[in-house]
Amino acid sequence: MMQIAPTSVRWARTPFYFSSAEHLLRIEPQRAASLAELLEGVKDCSEDSIFQHTFRTLQEHHFIQEGYSNDFAHWAFFACNENELAERLASVDVREFISVKTLRTRVIEILEDFLTNHPRVGERTAMEPFYFCSSTSVVLPTPLVARNLQEFVDALESISIHSLYYHFIEARLRLKLTSNDFSVWLEHEVGLGRAADLINRIDIYTSTLQGVRHRILRIVESALA
Amino acid sequence: MGPAKGPDRSDNESVERPSVRTSPDDLPPAFVEKRRKPRIQEKPTGPPLPAKLGDYEHLLGKSGIEELRYLAQGLRGKSIKVVHAPSLENHAGEMLNRSISLLTELEVVANFEAMVEDPEFRKVAHMIRRTLGGDAGYLAKEAKDLYLRRGDHFRERSRFNEDVVVVHDPEPLSLVRGKSSKNQYWVWRCHMDLSNPNEEIWKFLRPLVESHDAAVFSAQVFAYPLSIPEYLFYPCIDPLSERNKQLEPSYIQHVCEEFGIDRSRPVITQVSSFDRNQDPMGVIAAYRLAKKYVDCQLVLVGSIDTEGAAEPDVMAEVMDAANRDPDILVVNLPASSASEINALQSASRIIVQKSSRGGFGTTVTEALWKGKPVVASAVGGVPNQIIHKITGALVHSVEGFAYQIRYLLTHQELAEQLGKNGREHVQENFLLTSDVKRWLLLFQILLHLSRR
Repeated sequence: MMQIAPTSVRWARTPFYFSSAEHLLRIEPQRAASLAELLEGVKDCSEDSIFQHTFRTLQEHHFIQEGYSNDFAHWAFFACNENELAERLASVDVREFISVKTLRTRVIEILEDFLTNHPRVGERTAMEPFYFCSSTSVVLPTPLVARNLQEFVDALESISIHSLYYHFIEARLRLKLTSNDFSVWLEHEVGLGRAADLINRIDIYTSTLQGVRHRILRIVESALA
Repeated sequence: MGPAKGPDRSDNESVERPSVRTSPDDLPPAFVEKRRKPRIQEKPTGPPLPAKLGDYEHLLGKSGIEELRYLAQGLRGKSIKVVHAPSLENHAGEMLNRSISLLTELEVVANFEAMVEDPEFRKVAHMIRRTLGGDAGYLAKEAKDLYLRRGDHFRERSRFNEDVVVVHDPEPLSLVRGKSSKNQYWVWRCHMDLSNPNEEIWKFLRPLVESHDAAVFSAQVFAYPLSIPEYLFYPCIDPLSERNKQLEPSYIQHVCEEFGIDRSRPVITQVSSFDRNQDPMGVIAAYRLAKKYVDCQLVLVGSIDTEGAAEPDVMAEVMDAANRDPDILVVNLPASSASEINALQSASRIIVQKSSRGGFGTTVTEALWKGKPVVASAVGGVPNQIIHKITGALVHSVEGFAYQIRYLLTHQELAEQLGKNGREHVQENFLLTSDVKRWLLLFQILLHLSRR
């Protein structure tokens, strides 16, 4: 367990309340058997569905640190064998979006652009269909509260991966900021602006969520050294 | 989630030359003797008592257990009834029992009832199952009436005043006709593949299905588009069961010795019934192709004696192949020999599942949980479990199986990484505790208790 020197313990103006989120998967009516149908599906499906195939897939596959980062990219590669499209879709970084609406627009732009340039590819039947799903989220409080940095570190070491995901990744949709709960709290409540910035720049696409946890802990430790 | 590579080769591929054995006489005498007369456990041990929630803490962490308790607390004062047919498939039935046990410990009131079946009803139910699965068939008016009448009788005998009623599979579907209150919620848990139902039977059952408030399927590919919300609940395994718990290395060694398995050479295993759908001859063909380059043994585990578990012509072909090659071992074990099957899976370097059609594939889940690299056909629910080259290898042909077996046997680091990822995937999505959590979430959502 990481110990912060007593002189370095900083008290927050407002405590950090740790929560978690659980998700239930729903099977949606849309299915796509080709890239053209995928485009139609992306246009028609619910925001919960876009959320599921982009944000949520990072939680479902939190242990992976390589490969395509959202379900659309993965399907474009694995079922349609379209490397270029897969790479472009994979470049959509959810951290740059504070609403699912704008994220959907970006995915549509990429698909439309690709299908305009490769018109014959759109109708080709994929090796397996894309099934649209969505997720219904339920937020759960946890008993963990951090009133100072030591308590923050202790809690961060013990929270579930789902809680980490909720505060670090999903938070931006709630905050409407390209940030996360930890960075906001560290900057505004504890005065660790530089650490907050470093934490916000952790690359979630080349790291597992356990790896993210360890990096946050190291950054906080370094900030107080 | 990962780039799927074609049959690629790397320069550092180390190829083990097979030591060729052409007849059983080439095996060391100890193995020959064991293979002739394997000493299997004759009387399977009874199922152990379901584990307690606290027993899972080393897997879920304290926070994971707390999350379950919190979700359950929100359901205090609510009651749940679960109805299933006695014929609920063995694995699903066992997992249901274990889920109910954990829900009871969490103080979620769950009444658990099996629908009474008589021979006439069983016959109708059998036809319904077959036709819902897509087979041709016809249900006469009398049969439909009997199906509805049996449901009515059961409903009259058992009270249905719970807040949520969950019915499993098609047998109890008609109970929903007794749904009276708007504040009572009915859920249909479909364990079958409903993607291509027989039109005639579906016309009869669809209104009953859509009278529920939600339907639950095991994989997207098994679902049928309905007018009610459809949820995805993956089938699960219990990590603490005899079939999946971690075994002592000495026990694994003991079981291998009993069956005459040479652990100094790689073992490839398929656990399945001996029928065409599970394609054991395809597995043998893939093994033979792979063995040209890498020495290995093939172990086919399944039940030969249980009625209907093996197709005689398939069995004859398999036995013929095994008699010609001492490195093909057919192990006759019923599903109840859970510890032995666990040991054989644990002793394997690679697990294969070559199905031409199939269900979710919980034998794949079991193998992933044991940290084994799995090579499997991309059918049924397997693609939900195997992300190609990330949590295993998905293939479509005998040649594909052979290549992936060779590759994984000669690239130990990748094999280990796939096994590690596969176990994480199961931990996140396919354990009994995930199933319990999904039910708690669904009850919360239906009863509008959750904070979203």
